[in-house]
Amino acid sequence: MAEVILKHIKKVYPNNESKKKKKGEPEKKKSNLLITEEGVVAVQDFNLEIKDKEFIVLVGPSGCGKSTTLRMVAGLESISGGDLMIDGKKVNDVEPKDRDIAMVFQNYALYPHMTVRGNMEYPLKLQKKDPAEIKQKVEEAAEILGITQYLERKPKALSGGQRQRVAIGRAIVREPKVLLMDEPLSNLDAKLRNQMRAEILKLRQRINATFIYVTHDQTEAMTLGDRIVIMKDGVVLQIGTPQELFDHPVDTFVAGFIGMPQMNMFDAELKEEGGKYTAKLEDVEIPISEEKQERLRKNKVKSQPITLGIRPEHITLAKENETHLTGTIGVSEMMGSAVHLHADAYGKDTIMIIQTMNLTAEEQKNIAIGNKINFMFNGNMVHLFATDGANLEV
Amino acid sequence: MNKKHTWSKNEKVFLGLLIPILILFFCFNTLPLIKGFYYGLTNFRGYGNYDFVGLRNFIEVFQDSRVGKSYLFTFKYAIVMTIAVNVISLILALGLNSKIRGKNALRGIYFVPNILGGLVVGYIFSFIFTYILPAIGEAAGISFLSNSILGSTTWAWVAIVIVGAWQGIAMNTIIYISGLQTVPEDVYEAGMLDGSTGWRKFKDITLPLIMPFITINLVLCMKNAMMVFDQIMALTKGGPSQSTESISYLIYNNGMSGGQFGFQSANAFIFFIVIVAISIFQTTILGKKEEQL
Repeated sequence: MAEVILKHIKKVYPNNESKKKKKGEPEKKKSNLLITEEGVVAVQDFNLEIKDKEFIVLVGPSGCGKSTTLRMVAGLESISGGDLMIDGKKVNDVEPKDRDIAMVFQNYALYPHMTVRGNMEYPLKLQKKDPAEIKQKVEEAAEILGITQYLERKPKALSGGQRQRVAIGRAIVREPKVLLMDEPLSNLDAKLRNQMRAEILKLRQRINATFIYVTHDQTEAMTLGDRIVIMKDGVVLQIGTPQELFDHPVDTFVAGFIGMPQMNMFDAELKEEGGKYTAKLEDVEIPISEEKQERLRKNKVKSQPITLGIRPEHITLAKENETHLTGTIGVSEMMGSAVHLHADAYGKDTIMIIQTMNLTAEEQKNIAIGNKINFMFNGNMVHLFATDGANLEV
Repeated sequence: MNKKHTWSKNEKVFLGLLIPILILFFCFNTLPLIKGFYYGLTNFRGYGNYDFVGLRNFIEVFQDSRVGKSYLFTFKYAIVMTIAVNVISLILALGLNSKIRGKNALRGIYFVPNILGGLVVGYIFSFIFTYILPAIGEAAGISFLSNSILGSTTWAWVAIVIVGAWQGIAMNTIIYISGLQTVPEDVYEAGMLDGSTGWRKFKDITLPLIMPFITINLVLCMKNAMMVFDQIMALTKGGPSQSTESISYLIYNNGMSGGQFGFQSANAFIFFIVIVAISIFQTTILGKKEEQL
């Protein structure tokens, strides 16, 4: 059993303002991190209860505090405020080695002077385990990861993917309660990344550990995580399953971050008349499903200008005689089963994914660069955001 | 094949940088070596006429008891120096590489001895050993200190080690600091999570990863210590009773003013070969332990 609980976790880097002022350069604002009297707040009020064997992914753009959070769990960064509990015990001030965690680093962080075997043995040797047991555990882990034939090699004789396997091997031989991964795949090429992603999923079935995984890649987050924590500027924006984040993003940032290609956003108008909501994009009325109407009513949403979001997958082609929106095709990317269109509509580059299966031959012919295209949104799938970005349904 | 080679602009720049150095190196290093070998074959006294005597000088170097004694002293000095300097400078580098206040200022201060001339430092320490330490010894009633250690045949060499080390540590420390900075931070972090702290961290991670820097420091330090001259010139002039006579000092002293120019030239040539041999030996042995990152 190893739940990890983060209660009001906070990280503040003390201010070095006085130092910077001496240099006399006007400081450029690099991020929107909160700056208080204490210093720069890299992570503010992080609350999360991670269940035993859960796979949590922390995701967000660079500088959002996700790595800092992970490093606080690891014990590589001190915790400025709040409680970190592993397995019911408060571990804020416990040495990293005594937290029963292991970590996989982005740059592998292998011991360059030791062989693969040496690397994997090292943590066990430090625990003064029996040599026969060490040998057995290392070979088991090597077997799982398919690196048995490289055991006697040095890291420099291995490829990036193999090195990362060794790093994972070194982490799992200890049978840690919590396995931390800090962007483990970002140094690998795309093909290898896909392959390793699948292997991490398989690995998860085989070992009894709670996973905390940091990435900036939304695909990794969606495919790996039981739950995803999405962060920005040191603040947790939303915590939920991949499906929840995809279907009900709390704001335009989450909506744009999750999902590939990105959600399309339009400026629109929301009208409320006697408890009935309608959205208008230019002069075209966009239907809103009854389910969504209900939620808007519950939130007592008033008529207001809104940002209307629609995912590329949820745009359908429309006939001339139906209510429809219009755009001009700028780019057409044929993917085989689907065609990705970039259309210029209402001043926005609108991306739509059209399944080729449902297209008539004539329609297919009409999808050509420069042509007009008529399309409509699936009323069940539109997202309604206030102009400040917050989701009106949540 | 007969086409005339035209120098490209880059090649011209390279040659422009290289040729002056080559000329200087040849004039001040290669030429003296060749001339030294030439004089080694003669009975030149530094003045007057001379005759060729074949390899006689080279053979006699091995039979001369004063040369033997100076070799013994020089080796003793060089080994003690190399060990002392490297241990101390590695400890200093570890300290100066950690997260401490005023780190950069301290690094600067520790480098100062390196920019002072050997003779200057030697004379300063000579003053300390001759006047200040005995005065302190007398005042404190420590009989060991009340006589200058420079006057003791047993301890004078220690004084030279102290001065040599004081100066030699500066450069070595800087090299070790840069070496420590090549060890990636995340490797230490991985070590921290694996439970590698304190001595184990140093022994298992730091030491193997700075091996190339240890090699270069051992070789440079050994070489410098073997050629010790300034400190002896300033502190003891080889005395008392030739107990601190290094090879370089003997070559200089007896070659220049002892009428043994030919003989000491042969000595110098052999000494050159000894140093080259030691350096090659060190680099091969230590090179095997080095790890390419």
